[in-house]
Amino acid sequence: MKVTICIGSACHLKGSREIIKEMQELVAANGVKDKVDLNGAFCSGNCVKEGVCVTVDGTLHSLKPEDCSEFFNKEILGRL
Amino acid sequence: MVTNDATILKVKHDVLREVAKLAWDGKLDECREEMPYKMIPGPQAQFRCCIYKEREIIRQRVRLAEGKCPSGKDSINVVQVIGAACEECPIASYVVTDNCRKCMGKACQNSCNFGAISMDDTRAHIDPSKCKECGKCAQACPYSAIAHLERPCKKVCPVDAITYDEYGICVIDEKKCIQCGACVHSCPFGAIGTKTFMVDIIRLINAGKRVVAMVAPATEGQFGPDITMASWRTALKKIGFADMIEVGLGGDMTAAAEAAEWAEAYKEGKKMTTSCCPAFVNMIKQHFPMLLDNMSTTVSPMCAVSRLVKEKDPGTITVFIGPCIAKKSETLDLNIQGNADYALTFGEVRAMMRAKDVELEPEENSYQDSSVFGKRFGNGGGVTAAVVECFEEMGEDIKPEVMKCNGAAECKKALLLMKVGKLPADFIEGMACVGGCVGGPSKHKAELEAKKARDTLIGGADKRKVLENLEKLGADKVHMHRS
Repeated sequence: MKVTICIGSACHLKGSREIIKEMQELVAANGVKDKVDLNGAFCSGNCVKEGVCVTVDGTLHSLKPEDCSEFFNKEILGRL
Repeated sequence: MVTNDATILKVKHDVLREVAKLAWDGKLDECREEMPYKMIPGPQAQFRCCIYKEREIIRQRVRLAEGKCPSGKDSINVVQVIGAACEECPIASYVVTDNCRKCMGKACQNSCNFGAISMDDTRAHIDPSKCKECGKCAQACPYSAIAHLERPCKKVCPVDAITYDEYGICVIDEKKCIQCGACVHSCPFGAIGTKTFMVDIIRLINAGKRVVAMVAPATEGQFGPDITMASWRTALKKIGFADMIEVGLGGDMTAAAEAAEWAEAYKEGKKMTTSCCPAFVNMIKQHFPMLLDNMSTTVSPMCAVSRLVKEKDPGTITVFIGPCIAKKSETLDLNIQGNADYALTFGEVRAMMRAKDVELEPEENSYQDSSVFGKRFGNGGGVTAAVVECFEEMGEDIKPEVMKCNGAAECKKALLLMKVGKLPADFIEGMACVGGCVGGPSKHKAELEAKKARDTLIGGADKRKVLENLEKLGADKVHMHRS
């Protein structure tokens, strides 16, 4: 599964680095390193959304750092 | 440096500087659309058929400078084709030129195994639908009348990632592209470029974030004997970076970790490759995935230094600066923790400086964080030399055979041999650029042009040992593996 997190400046200021760090830890803790590929992406121009732009297998989501764990369980673990 | 892209470089750098200037002033959004008109005032076209095409090319270059795809189509590749700038070079590969005398010998026709050559009124003719591009006719012709026309971009691509669409516009096969950037400076029309992180970094500096620059070991010598690491630190601080650290220190860190890894593998009889060159790593991942187990798990010098910086100050944003394009793709691999947040080329960071009227100024070299071995990491054979030095310092009595691959073509050959179990060495040092990082696509000077200045600068460094340097700087505690 390909998970792409925007690392552009707008998403950075909304907390993309916190999300990346938490995702890396969640992937390791759940033992799904072989199944989940974490990628960074240049700005895709969706900065108007409230959260950080995160794409899971091509579907765009807007994610806030505080919702990361719930998102991981639902959209990533739940779809594996 | 004599290149075929001096004019293009000027245009590229002018665009980068203008974009940087607007970004520093926070005016990019309001002034973006004026840029093509400002840079191509007209009414006469300078390089292309008309000013409208020239302006469209500028518009697409601005998009790239902002980190967007030149066309509206979104793709993750760092290396991108500027569609409007591609001149649709001829695709017919072997063509008969005026030199043909339609001679009696007809060696061309006799040498062709595919019946592709016939004689028209004045000269030989090659039927493109039958020609298999073997080149035998060109070799056979006593008048050298058959020319091999190959697109410069396609010719330099080491992994055959360049194709064309139905209109003859260059297309990059992103599954094959290893982001080495060889094609970028090969195109005489400047139609291939890379996305940049320049605007993101400027915005983060403007927002008051702590951004630390990490300058590549290949840097020393690139800007003459007077531009020292201290010069870089001063200039980078002037434009808002909080600090600068040389990635040569990361070279020391990587060498020490890799030496431990190699020593173990050597005793087990397991063959391994280096993992510091991102284009070489991409080549293994995309073209030789069966060899992933043989790739060193040690992180690159860039990642090592980034981890060191972030350990001391977790909120810091780390930015790599060097002659490398593939490093941008390494920063996008988020499976590696603590790696550099962004990577810039020399051209991009100098555009950021020029936009603020800052230049690199001569300065006495008062700064050194790396051993001479770490500083030489950016030269072909430099990784091996540093690892061998570490063996000695560790008291390991091993003398492994290392195949030092100079450039992507040699890397590919060595990996093929490893794949079939016929590698005549214990280890592969993979450097996707000829000469090592100093020959990187975004170098300022060619390896030989910079050599004297580089030798002078590195010759002036003290002769500290690798392991003692790491201990002294507290760099020996950093976790040095991918996972």
